[in-house]
Amino acid sequence: MGKDIREDIAWAQINKDVLKSLESPRKLYWVIIFVALLVFSVGVGCEIYQYNTGMGVANMDNPHVWGLYIASFIFWIGMSHSGTLLSAILHLMHADWRKPIYRFAEAMTTFSLLTAGLFVAVHLGRLWQVYYALPYPSERWIWPNFQSPLLWDAMAIFTYLSSSILFLYIGSIPDLAICRDNIHQGWRKKLYTLLALGWEGTDRQWRNFRVTYLTIACFLIPLAVSVHSIVASDFAMSQQPGWHVTSFPPYFVAGALYSGCAAIITLFIILRYVFRFEEYMTLPILKKTVRLTFAIAMVWTYLNCIEFASVWYSHDQVAKDVLIQKATGTYAPFWWAMIFCGSVVPFAMMVKKWQTNIPVMFAVSLLLNLGMWLERWMIVAPTFSHGYYPWTWDHDQWPSLIQWGIVFGSFGWFTLLFMVFCKIVPSVSMYEVKEMVYHRSQARKKEERAVQEELAVKGAH
Amino acid sequence: MSKRYLLALYNNFDEAEAVVRELRNSEIKGFNAADDLVVKSPIEHPEVEEFLGEKSVKVQWFTLGGALTGGLLAFSLIAGSQAGFYSQMKGGKPIVPIPPDLVLTYEMFILGGVYITVLGFLICAGLPAKRSPLYSAKVSEDQIGILVKGDDGSMAKLREIFTRHKALEIQEEAGR
Amino acid sequence: MSVSNLLENWSKFRHTHPVDDKGIPDWEAYPSDIKWAMSIDLDACTGCNACSVACYAENNLPVVGKDKYSHGQAMHWMRVERYWDEGDNGFQAEQGARFLPMMCQQCEAAPCETVCPVGATNHTEDGLNSQIYNRCIGSRYCSANCPYKVRYFNWYNYPEQENAWPAPLNQQLNPDLTVRTKGVMEKCTFCKQRTYTARNNAKTEGRPVQDSDVQTACQEACPAGAITFGNLHNPESQVAKQWQSQQVDLIKDIQEKDEKEGNRLRGYRVLEELRPYPSVMYLERVRESAV
Repeated sequence: MGKDIREDIAWAQINKDVLKSLESPRKLYWVIIFVALLVFSVGVGCEIYQYNTGMGVANMDNPHVWGLYIASFIFWIGMSHSGTLLSAILHLMHADWRKPIYRFAEAMTTFSLLTAGLFVAVHLGRLWQVYYALPYPSERWIWPNFQSPLLWDAMAIFTYLSSSILFLYIGSIPDLAICRDNIHQGWRKKLYTLLALGWEGTDRQWRNFRVTYLTIACFLIPLAVSVHSIVASDFAMSQQPGWHVTSFPPYFVAGALYSGCAAIITLFIILRYVFRFEEYMTLPILKKTVRLTFAIAMVWTYLNCIEFASVWYSHDQVAKDVLIQKATGTYAPFWWAMIFCGSVVPFAMMVKKWQTNIPVMFAVSLLLNLGMWLERWMIVAPTFSHGYYPWTWDHDQWPSLIQWGIVFGSFGWFTLLFMVFCKIVPSVSMYEVKEMVYHRSQARKKEERAVQEELAVKGAH
Repeated sequence: MSKRYLLALYNNFDEAEAVVRELRNSEIKGFNAADDLVVKSPIEHPEVEEFLGEKSVKVQWFTLGGALTGGLLAFSLIAGSQAGFYSQMKGGKPIVPIPPDLVLTYEMFILGGVYITVLGFLICAGLPAKRSPLYSAKVSEDQIGILVKGDDGSMAKLREIFTRHKALEIQEEAGR
Repeated sequence: MSVSNLLENWSKFRHTHPVDDKGIPDWEAYPSDIKWAMSIDLDACTGCNACSVACYAENNLPVVGKDKYSHGQAMHWMRVERYWDEGDNGFQAEQGARFLPMMCQQCEAAPCETVCPVGATNHTEDGLNSQIYNRCIGSRYCSANCPYKVRYFNWYNYPEQENAWPAPLNQQLNPDLTVRTKGVMEKCTFCKQRTYTARNNAKTEGRPVQDSDVQTACQEACPAGAITFGNLHNPESQVAKQWQSQQVDLIKDIQEKDEKEGNRLRGYRVLEELRPYPSVMYLERVRESAV
């Protein structure tokens, strides 16, 4: 295994390479932006039609009151988990290989949360009254219903989104100062000057920075776990067969980490090429990420089996029927595809040669995310199709093209936000790569010195 | 008496450390190493803290205060507003149900903690700040800057120390 | 929302309904002398759908048309379900179907109420599960959590865009209640406009509500008289007598008579074991023959 990063890379060179990404990415960047715009506009068109006509055009019906929107909502929330959570955990564990990749991972968190928020809007029947769900004081003392898991969701996601943005922002202040010092014209200059808050790297600033960053990291870990547990509560707290499962919160958290890690691999490969980050997003780092993803894949598989087993060995006949329905009914192809993508495909990551093979890992990461999207759909839909009440069983409901269009469009929205961000804020953390290079070269020097001393001692004898 | 500023740039932490140690040990009239010495570096570097001497960080007190306030505020607001809803029973559950309220209290605990920590960071680090009188873009690249403030009379001695340690560049400016 | 209010009335606020109720009604926590309830005799039901039609007329329900009906978007608050007996050779069509009129069961501990993010659905003091159309934002969580799936969502703007009541049909809309627009959830209210009138009249006359004061639209339309409706807290009412004779207790999730051997009582509540404490009792069909 090679080195995570070259130790003799000059600090000035790091600045130069990363700043270049803000100005001249490969042509592919513009292709991606253009395609993302097109995809997003499909979603916007569908939403305008649905907003004006009513939710019926999504082809939802009485048992199937939730559709792909809620499934995609969970998917995007889940994807947001790896960025900030992994960044915080690895920071606490002093795993310095996180440094070149954490910035874009945190950006992924932020933007996938924003995408998830979009689905709340798309899903609501009366979006124009959405402020009813906010706890604002009114003269009639009307408050939202604090018992509803949806309200916990709103609160948890708001907390998570704003904390992640703050974590991302605090972490990039030193880099924004670098941008301020190096870019001398246009709106960028103004923007960076404003955002850098007058950062100068004084000892006082660094000292407080270190403590603050550590503190927020400590808060973010339990927060991220609670966010997806609460999303799981939307289902686990309900009474429906197939949802009312105690193991849902950890299962959701594992699934969230899983899809997030897979998305990190996908974006790693794209950014590495588009912004010419080969020196920083190195193959050994990819390898570490892949191994981590494999471990999480196995955790997810285990929890998945637990869920099936606990339903199977319980005496809850209705829940059992839903499980059988998943495996053999209308949804069987998607359900088995989920098992294949989520539990079989990851074994490709065990092959050493493939761990650093970019095309293979790109394909694998996309398949894993497909599996994770299917997982969310297979949680939401089958319960509706085969609930407690036989007269309302509906196995043939299929989401309309409007629904698919909005889900499709959300990918454009995410890509658009993410790619624009990467061109405005350095997607590799410059100051932390410098730290990484510095500490590693110091460690190597120390080692060399120790070896020399040992040799000297031996020579003396 | 007017103060003057002096900024010297160095190539690496070892050189900067030697300078700082000498400045701390020297007794120059009109210059106090504890207050008038600032080290600027492109990376976070714990050793700087060591050779500058311990300086306390107070951010964590903001964190504690913010988190506790957030949690208490959440519970009293939520339980209080549910109690105002007395006639509106939902699903046979108690009017003030404890588990849901605790979930929200937990979230607000974290929210308050994070927000006030950031506020504390801005206050403790003195941000947003105007740029100090002397600043070099080299500091955000790869050099270590040492900024000192002193009386007119101390400038020559300070400059002498910087030069002796082979400063890459020395800037001087009249203070305000 | 003062903290002192919270502390003074803490024990009231921690009251769990209906399992903590001390007697019926529990005056302290649940001050009401009315509990609307229903019982439906399936032996009498012929599946004629008159109840459903009456409900459409009374409650301003939009008729969605064949296309939307086949997409499962019908708005029938009262629906008559058909179940076919499965014999040795599959379905026995000549036997005739079993019918079950199904509407909102007005659960005492309703799963839909707790999950609404804006509190648009609440328990009323007369024992109903209310739906506030103005407050609803259309998250549809209530329907997702309803075991009976008796909540209906306005998938389209029926009054205006879909033209559900082309002139002069709009003239026959019931002025006593609203016409709902798109994006809100709705469901059976036990004809709230009628029960409220009855309560007000009784109050004006200074007497308790009697059976003769109010009938729901479905009850009124049922030619077989299968539906009984009234105040369960009034021991003189028909519905209370039926519940009592069938030994169905509102606040129990497992009825004592069901535990006994040789129980020949017909009263049961649908999905009682999920503990929503529904307010509708069904009387099991005993006749074998076709309609």
